Amino acid sequence: MTMNRRKFLATTAATTGAAALSSVGTVALAQDRQIRHFWWGNPERDRRTFGVIDVFNGKHDDIEVIGETLGFGDYFQKLTTQVAGGNMPDVIQQGYGIIFEYIERGAILPLDEFVGNTLDVSNMDQSALDAGTFNGQLYAISIGANSHMALYNTEMYAAAGISAGDGFDPFGWTYDDVKRIGVEVAAANEGKYGTDDNTGNYQNFSDYIAQNGVEMFNADGEYQVTAELVIAWWELWKDIREAGATPAGKASAGLVANPPMAEWGVVSGNTATSYVWSNQLVGAQALVEAKLGAAMFPNTPAMVPGSVVQPSQFVCLTRDTVDAEAATTYMSAFVNDPDMTDILGLERGIPANSVARAALQSKLSESEAASVAFFDGIRGKTAQLPPPAPSGANEIEQTFQRAATGVLLDQDSIAESAANFVRQAAFIRRRAG
Amino acid sequence: MLKFLRKNGPGYLFLVPWFIGFIALALGPILVSLYLAFTKYDIFSPPEWIGLENFEFMFLYDDRFLNSLQVTFTFVFLSVPGKLVFALIVAMVLDKGIRGIGFYRALFYLPSILGGSIAVAILWRQLFDYDGIVNAVLAKVGIQGPYWLNDPDYALYTLIILAMWQFGSPMLIFLAGLRSISPELYEAAEMDGTSKFKQFYAITIPLLAPVIFFNLVLQMIDAFKTFSSAFVISGGSGAPVDSLNFITLYLYNEAFTFFRMGYASALAWVLLVIIAIFTGIAFYSSRYWVYYENERD
Repeated sequence: MTMNRRKFLATTAATTGAAALSSVGTVALAQDRQIRHFWWGNPERDRRTFGVIDVFNGKHDDIEVIGETLGFGDYFQKLTTQVAGGNMPDVIQQGYGIIFEYIERGAILPLDEFVGNTLDVSNMDQSALDAGTFNGQLYAISIGANSHMALYNTEMYAAAGISAGDGFDPFGWTYDDVKRIGVEVAAANEGKYGTDDNTGNYQNFSDYIAQNGVEMFNADGEYQVTAELVIAWWELWKDIREAGATPAGKASAGLVANPPMAEWGVVSGNTATSYVWSNQLVGAQALVEAKLGAAMFPNTPAMVPGSVVQPSQFVCLTRDTVDAEAATTYMSAFVNDPDMTDILGLERGIPANSVARAALQSKLSESEAASVAFFDGIRGKTAQLPPPAPSGANEIEQTFQRAATGVLLDQDSIAESAANFVRQAAFIRRRAG
Repeated sequence: MLKFLRKNGPGYLFLVPWFIGFIALALGPILVSLYLAFTKYDIFSPPEWIGLENFEFMFLYDDRFLNSLQVTFTFVFLSVPGKLVFALIVAMVLDKGIRGIGFYRALFYLPSILGGSIAVAILWRQLFDYDGIVNAVLAKVGIQGPYWLNDPDYALYTLIILAMWQFGSPMLIFLAGLRSISPELYEAAEMDGTSKFKQFYAITIPLLAPVIFFNLVLQMIDAFKTFSSAFVISGGSGAPVDSLNFITLYLYNEAFTFFRMGYASALAWVLLVIIAIFTGIAFYSSRYWVYYENERD
């Protein structure tokens, strides 16, 4: 039997423990297969996930799952230290934007050998399985689908006489509409603004790139965005800002880098529209009294699809797992066991398991139902999921946000900042490659 | 040898836990980081020796590193003198024998205990928010305050003020130093009709010089290592536009956000050398301005 350090420690601990217990005449419990599950979350998600773990542990006498959670901001830094220490939890949560860096470097294991044994994926949507497949191997199980969503305050819109279908098409509005509506809503709501300023919103910018028929990375991993495209984007929002639809540039400059939910314009009440992810509707609605409406991200008049439907989160098996069979059994139950999917609901996004999805249909809360309706609305209007981003994509995003902050503060000329950003992005890719 | 062991063995035996801790938790990692500084290491795969490439890139091509040096130096050179002057003024006021001095001493020391904590950094964020208390006070006197934390022209100054506010520990040391100056010197000066100001720079400053020097070195090293307040106030990224991107914050992000552990180690060693150089300069210069009472010249 081969032994690694962890196994050795676990065995030693178990033996010592068993010896100690037997000496007082107690029978050791059979829960000797412990695995850890680590995710990023929020209080609501943590409550639901710990609930799921309780259900799983109750059904499996021989396996004990231990949950660990952190906020998104700290999650990946903790994970990085665990990678370095060789003690990643067995099951971790991953996102589509960053997972490839982990796969490429061998931190996540392929799941193919478990499919059909401990891991049941028979009811999973093919698109979700495809999204978790890299280089022909399945690495990641989707635990919810996601898309870009503009959240708007229906009461503030109504004050300007605007509602879905009346001067506003939530599934086909343009940047011109954003400006027009933004100005009208700002005028109708004293001291408030119509929309957040997306100069530094990289998610909206990535939609804009696709809307202009450009792929962000080519097959060789080169960044394809031109300075002209960046200039056009920043000019577009400058125009919206100067029309009075958004807060002052200096105010928006503090909100560029993924601000916490409480600071979003639509949640703080400072603006009427924020541009986020669809699975955040449930959480945001819980913080806002007015009913929130869901719209797609805006588009150009040509209406080339820019948003994609992608797995919001995955569960993955790490190379540090102590018991891959127990871990995949748990992962399988996470997406299949109706008692567990029931607790999870739509909090992480729309489930990719068709049976679980159907079972949830009748139990939806109002905001969950709105999420489902949104997914019906965007059908046929989204782009194909691009291949996963290469290493360095995350750094390019941060570089973009930094450049955009300079633009919002009016410190750098748009043309110069755009040229700098494109040059830096190319360099980041060369350095990462 | 045997004799030595018999005599000192028990002493070393008692020190063993400390040695183990020091070697495993301090010396070991420090040496490893020195090795990593010459490698490309992404955490996932084994480090790969690249010689001086990290340092070459740092000084020749890395604008963000050069900017982080500028941020760090600005912070150190403004916050340390500011803090020391402030601490000295408060210490001199307290030295006048105010009733309830113990209470005031504790009160002024409080920020230093809280200062490095996350909670105070968060509090600072609120104070300097656009709708925060600072701007509310400024508005009362008719000044429209800026976006302190969003504007690279101001963000660093909020951190400098935060550092100056934590003047408690140098203040206590100054206070002790002031107490040790013999009152007879002031009495003699008083009799000769020396002005208070002259007493200050002819008696207080020279006799306090060793204490000033001690505080200067300590505070300078501390200031170079500033991390947590910058991390919290800038949301971890050094925003806005890298104006809070201290070298410590930069190396942290290089290591744990962008997986460049080798490069981050190189940055850490450069920081160490910088601190060593400035401490060396302080020690060298002290020959010319620090006099100890037992010296004769």
